Parts: sequence; structure tokens; C-alpha cells
Amino acid sequence: MQINYAKKLISCKLVYYGPGMSGKTTNLELIHQKVPDENKGEMTSIATEGDRTLFFDFLPLDLGEVRGMTTKFQLYTVPGQIYYASTRKLVLQGADGIIFVADSQAEKLEENLESLQDLADNLKEYGIKVTEIPFVIQWNKRDLPTAMPVEELEEKVNWPKAATTSAVAATGEGVLQTLKLAASLVLDRLNANTAPGATATTQTSESAAEERKPEIYVAKVNQDSISKAYFSQYCQAQHRINAKSDAVEDFKKFSREEKKKLLESLVNYVLLLQDAKKRNIQASKEEVESQLSSFTKRFSSKEKLDEYLKNRKITLDALRNEATKNIIIGKIIFEIIPDINERLKISKDEIQKFYDSNKDKMGGNPLEKVKKDIKSHLKSVRKRKLLGEFHEKLKEQAQIKIFEDKL
Amino acid sequence: MKDERLREKRLTYYKEDLEQIDKLLEEFLKLSNAKSVFLIDKEGHLITRKGASEGINADTLSALVAGSFAATKELARILGESEFSVMFHQGAKDHIHIVLVGDRAITATTFDEKTTVGMINLYAKELSSKLEKIFDIASRRVVQEQHVESGYSESVKDKLDDLFKD
Repeated sequence: MQINYAKKLISCKLVYYGPGMSGKTTNLELIHQKVPDENKGEMTSIATEGDRTLFFDFLPLDLGEVRGMTTKFQLYTVPGQIYYASTRKLVLQGADGIIFVADSQAEKLEENLESLQDLADNLKEYGIKVTEIPFVIQWNKRDLPTAMPVEELEEKVNWPKAATTSAVAATGEGVLQTLKLAASLVLDRLNANTAPGATATTQTSESAAEERKPEIYVAKVNQDSISKAYFSQYCQAQHRINAKSDAVEDFKKFSREEKKKLLESLVNYVLLLQDAKKRNIQASKEEVESQLSSFTKRFSSKEKLDEYLKNRKITLDALRNEATKNIIIGKIIFEIIPDINERLKISKDEIQKFYDSNKDKMGGNPLEKVKKDIKSHLKSVRKRKLLGEFHEKLKEQAQIKIFEDKL
Repeated sequence: MKDERLREKRLTYYKEDLEQIDKLLEEFLKLSNAKSVFLIDKEGHLITRKGASEGINADTLSALVAGSFAATKELARILGESEFSVMFHQGAKDHIHIVLVGDRAITATTFDEKTTVGMINLYAKELSSKLEKIFDIASRRVVQEQHVESGYSESVKDKLDDLFKD
């Protein structure tokens, strides 16, 4: 995807994939027929004699200006025949969404499976999982007498658990629905990625089926929704911070009260991030990387780090995302309370007072020994109080919905 | 590392960079006497273009240039090269000259008898290294990230519905 702010243009790439003669080019031709002239470019087809796509077919769609951005979809097909493997791979480069055109006929089952596997392999070379990219499977040629029932195709072919449509591309049936569905998936991704906190979409799981489950949300803060998956990660991370241990706490173990409390703090966090966005507070690449590396250097090898991440079902990208947010939060405090350092100064008297009134909790340690701890404790209490005041102000103006039944 | 970069699928271009780039392209056209020049990212999206290119569908040209560039990679591999950095197609009157820019973009220059392939080659390579520097600086610079207006996706979906109502 290209986002060109200079030219106010967004350009997305959709690729039609599938076995030979499954109807990929037919899909494109039908779209070409149906779209008004001013919204389409020429359809380019590089075909061999046998009517088969040699290189790729290409159809540019121009939706014109949408909310200030000229929006284009570039549609590509790949050659289906096995021997054009390298061409297929290059067309896939930079694809934002994929439509797999499957031939519904029983005798094509093997070819469908082979092509789907080929797609998964090629994507893997670009570091993409077929379950992660916006992906639609079209059961084409539904009109043929030898077409397998859709339920059977779902069971035998759709192992990536993709969204599916039924079509008779030759007559145009289902062609536009398929394109619209794929485009929506790509656009949803764009939405999620440009939301200020990008809170709703943290990639969590290895398992394909799990990722395809409809997202459950636990809260909505203004325009941002907080997914249950994200919340669960947040709880676990908070637990690690509070317990100062690396133990992986099972989300289910948190009590309802704990969850409510944690959700409140997460809502505050999201409010802060949204406010930071309005103030245009950003984290630089260097800042993010340096924070990230202070974490990753704890691990003696990459394998150890990978293992740690895997146990917690988080990715390095998700960590980077978190680091970015932390830096932004760190900066916003100075924006809101410019004299924060002044206000966070803890006097000797205060420390002494705290020590005296909490003597029974000091385990008999002399003041000198616990001075530092007391100071940082008092500091964080005061910081929390200062932030708390600001949170209240933010909350008054925000629209917050908590879905308690989803906790 | 390369995969990491490919995963970063979204290519974003900002105004300040494009202004600089456009200036370089214009300068290049003047020096080389070429007809037009297109800057295309490797995925086939046009970044910007300059010169007399009416009648040329830039989207299609971009897709084909990026595609054919990628296709010659196989050819390069046979010769033990990782990729070719320059491609040239000669026509009866009009010709096209294609040069790789760093590892993410391509320039395609169209020209006719007013100049020679040698001149184009000379200035296009110079252009390529200047562009590479801009990309390099841009990729390391801390940008104030801009955002697409909220509600954009919904509006695009509405537009698609409009376009495809039968």
C-alpha cells in the first residue's frame, strides 16, 4: 500500500490467486465491464496463445477522491499454471489483500489445494502468513454440475479459515461481492493501523483459527475499541510489573474486581494516548529502538528472546508498539504539567515523615537504607495523583463505554 | 533484514520529500533532454512523474515496469547477479530506460531522437543515486506521522457500493 500525503493518494494492491483456468482473469474482465469508464484504466493482459495469463493481468480502479484522498485499487491476477512460479511470487510482492479464486469442480480439488499451499509458501517468503493478510476465497463455477457442495469445499480447502464468497464469474455473479469483501478487509486493516493507539489490533496468536474469531471488545473509548485480547495482554503485563516477576499469569486467574480496576487504568492510558495524538506528540524511531533494546538486551540470544515472546504470545512488533506508547505517555506528562520535575521534588522532611509514620513496615531498617525506596514511592504516588487530576478532566469530555459482561 | 523491510508494507511519502524529488526529476529532464520520467515503487505504485507524459496511463506503466523489472531478476540470477540495475527497451521512435533506485524504487524514462541512450544513462544513474540519498534520509528522519481522516474506510466502502450497484 502506498500512502502519498504529498499527492493525497492512497493506492492498494489486490491480487487474484488460484489454480490455472479457475477464472481469475474472468473476474477482472467482469469488473472491467461493470465499472464506469471514468473509474477505470485500461485492462492490460499479457496472455499466451492458449488464452492463459503469462505474466499478469492488470486493472487499475480509481474511486476518485474520498475524504480528501484520491483512492485507487490496483487489481492483479497471477498466472495459475505451476510453471510460472517466479512470476506469481513477484506479483504478490506488496499485496495488501488476496482473493483466491477456487474452481468448485470436484476434479479440481487437488489443484485448489496445491495452489493454496503455493500461495502460503510464497507469502511466507515475504514473511507474511496467509492467515494474517486480508484474504477472501471465492468458490467459483458454482453453476457447473460437478461443483462440490460449499460445505465440503469449506471443510477440505478452507484451512486458513478465510472469508468466502460463491460466484459464477462467467456471468458476473458474485464477482463484485468478492471484490467488495476483499476491499473492506484491506480498509479495515488501514483503519486499525491508523487509529491513534492502534489498541484494537495487537497480533496475539499463532493459531489461525483463533485470529479469525470475531473480535470481542471490552470497552470503547471515544473512537477506539479495546479488544479482549489486548486487555488480557495488558493485565498480564501489569501483573508482571506489579509482581516484579516474569511469571506468566493466566488471564482467567484475575478476579473480576482486579479486571475492573485494570480496565479503568487501561482506559486512562488510551485517553492519554488520544490526547497525545491531538497534541501531535510523537516518539522517534531512535527513542523507540533504544527503549526496545534496553529490554531485548536482557536476553543472551535471539532464541531466548523468541522463546520469551512466544510464551507470552506477543510479537516484537507489538513490543515496539508498546514502547512507542510508553515514550509518548512519558512525553505528554511534560506537556500537561510543564513544571512536573519541580512538583515531583520530595523533601527530606517528607521522607522523614513517611518513615516515622510507617516505622512498623520498615522491618527495622534504618532511614538511610530505605531512603531511596521511600523517595521513589512518594514520587510515584504524587505522579499518579497529578495524572489522576488530568484523567478526570479527559474523562469528562470523553465517551467511554465499558462492556462489563465481556470481562 | 530484507524480509523485515518487506513486512513494512505501507510506503508513505510526505510532501517535503516529494517536493525535493520533483525538483530533481525536472532537473534531470532538462539535462538529459528526455520526454518524461516516472518514479515508481517496486510494488508497482506510481510515486510521482514529470515531463510530457500525456496519453500514457501511468498506473499501467508503473505496474508493468515494476513487473518486468522483477521478472528480469530470474535472468540476473542465471548470470550470478542479484538483480540488474538498468534496463533499456528500444522502439522505432520512442524508447524507455529503467533504473533501479536503492532497493525500493525504480525510475522509468521515456525519450526519443532528441537525445541518446548514453546521455540518458549518464544522467539517470546520477539521478538514481541522488534519489537514493533522499529515500535514505527520509527513512531515518523522524516524521510527524500523519493520519488518514477517520471514517475514511467507511467512505471508501460506500463509494464501492455506489460504483458496483447493478
